[in-house]
Amino acid sequence: MSAVADTLLVAISTDFLTQWSFWIVVGIFAGIYGVLALGLQLNVGYTGVLNFGQAGFMAIGAYSAVILVVDVGLSYAAALPLSMLITVGAGLLVGLPALRLRSDYLAIATIAFSEVVRITAKNARELTGGNQGTLDIELENNRFFVDPWTDASTWIGDNLLDPIGLSGQDFINMPLLLVIWLTLGALAIGLTLLVRSPWGRVLRAIREDEDAARALGKNAFSYKMQSLGISAGIAAIAGWFLVFQAESVNQQSFEPLVTFLAYAVLVLGGLASFGGVLAGTIIFWFLLEGLREIDLGLDGNQIASLRFIVAGLVLILLMAFRPQGVFGKKEEMVLGE
Amino acid sequence: MNERADSGNVNGKEPILAVAGVHKRFGGIHAVRGAHFSVAEGSITALIGPNGAGKTTLFNVITGFYPPDAGMISYQGRSIYGKAPHRIAQRGMIRTFQITKALRAMPVIDNMLLAGSRQPGEHLHSLLTQPRASRRREAEVRERALELLASFDLDKKLDDYAGTLSGGQRKLLELARALMAEPRMVLLDEPMAGINPTLGRRLLEHMQKLREEDGVTFLFVEHDMDVVMNQSDEVIVMANGETLIQDKPEVVRADPRVIDAYLGGGGVAEKAEASPPAESEEHA
Repeated sequence: MSAVADTLLVAISTDFLTQWSFWIVVGIFAGIYGVLALGLQLNVGYTGVLNFGQAGFMAIGAYSAVILVVDVGLSYAAALPLSMLITVGAGLLVGLPALRLRSDYLAIATIAFSEVVRITAKNARELTGGNQGTLDIELENNRFFVDPWTDASTWIGDNLLDPIGLSGQDFINMPLLLVIWLTLGALAIGLTLLVRSPWGRVLRAIREDEDAARALGKNAFSYKMQSLGISAGIAAIAGWFLVFQAESVNQQSFEPLVTFLAYAVLVLGGLASFGGVLAGTIIFWFLLEGLREIDLGLDGNQIASLRFIVAGLVLILLMAFRPQGVFGKKEEMVLGE
Repeated sequence: MNERADSGNVNGKEPILAVAGVHKRFGGIHAVRGAHFSVAEGSITALIGPNGAGKTTLFNVITGFYPPDAGMISYQGRSIYGKAPHRIAQRGMIRTFQITKALRAMPVIDNMLLAGSRQPGEHLHSLLTQPRASRRREAEVRERALELLASFDLDKKLDDYAGTLSGGQRKLLELARALMAEPRMVLLDEPMAGINPTLGRRLLEHMQKLREEDGVTFLFVEHDMDVVMNQSDEVIVMANGETLIQDKPEVVRADPRVIDAYLGGGGVAEKAEASPPAESEEHA
């Protein structure tokens, strides 16, 4: 009997919960996916636009920022806004034909777009470094995309985080965590104000019934374009953070799975709530990263699979017992039919 | 079949809406095959006809929801043929739908505020550059919304989701919302269907009052013949995708072709009404 209890205790050892490094990693991934999912929330939760191309927009943001800094030689101050504009432009370009499609076809068209972006990045080796990422290009020009960020990060670590006494990887990651969550918070507040405005009311009307909105003089297509454009711009920010975190950019980071995980965050938190995205992303990444720490005597591949099995189970249970998500409004879900 | 196209000139006014030779096909189905009528400014005009006559399709064509295949549609003296629905709505022609389109997962008050016109806060640029103008307009629009809701007995439902209202209440909400948009012309698709007689009367009173006080023009599809005959200045009859006749209610009531269209069959008309004049054959 006690032997069983012993093994169970070993299996659910909770040491990792008291370690900085665990929470910092959870926080960084939760933050990056939170930023991605904020854009999806605007599209799916408020406009009724099923955008499945978010990983593609993230890729365009990441690659264009890196190329503008490394190959063109721009500073962050110029490259980051410019890469965001490029991504918004890509969003509008995709929207032009795709937003004329009905919701499910729109989902297919956007996922196809996202794969076109990724596979192009994979094969345009001169520009993107293909499968090896941008590392080689950086060496050629002796310019590293992440250099200015590393300087800033060190400064934050030395001047603001010294009292905490972090070291090693934590010292590098903590400033990134801070910047990501400050950005995430600011975006969530800004978007919340935006959807509460008359502009946001038109978005919700389009989500409910596009024809009703058009019959009241609202240009539904234009609003859907604006929604998609803003969402793409936000995905670009997530792309930069991903590069800061990985210190390189690789097409494998932009597989459709990334969009699906962002959707899991969205559904977990609940539709039509930006606060829900923040809660959803923390819960989801705590679960995914926490499962990695549980020692069941499994090998690496098995653990990797187990993480997603459990995450999937949680989503199924959520759909069964709380389909509106943690923060979603049940009325809006039921009545929206 | 296209006679009396000019009969919309009640009181010698220019027609606010003129429709001529409008056709709409869906593949092999010729849903509207020659619609021809005009609506006088400030009038109340009924559009009647048996089921499948093409009334709703014609509404959809006029308001831009279906692109027309041929014809001419002019509103306030300018063509709206093939224009986008929101452009037509922005020019003051607001419609309702046969199956009500209340925005169900939005509160009643938001349904109303949405329809308020000239709200700078609906455009990202002006929302960010002149937030005060947006708030000021919001207050004005809200005041008007509360007035309208009160007159439709919906003021106690202000913060309820529109989806929780009864079918009749949703119908009233849709009409109130249409009036929020400060329309010059309102197209109602079966406004009386599914609402109780008391509220129905109130809806009709509203219609008459708006026409008298503000000169709003109404065109409505309706199957209740009492309402059609008592409320409208003119009646347009459609059958088989064509407009048969446009005239005053008492004239239409006596026209054998109308009875024919409703009852079907060529011979019925002669038996049903006295003095059949030049009988039309094209729809038999």
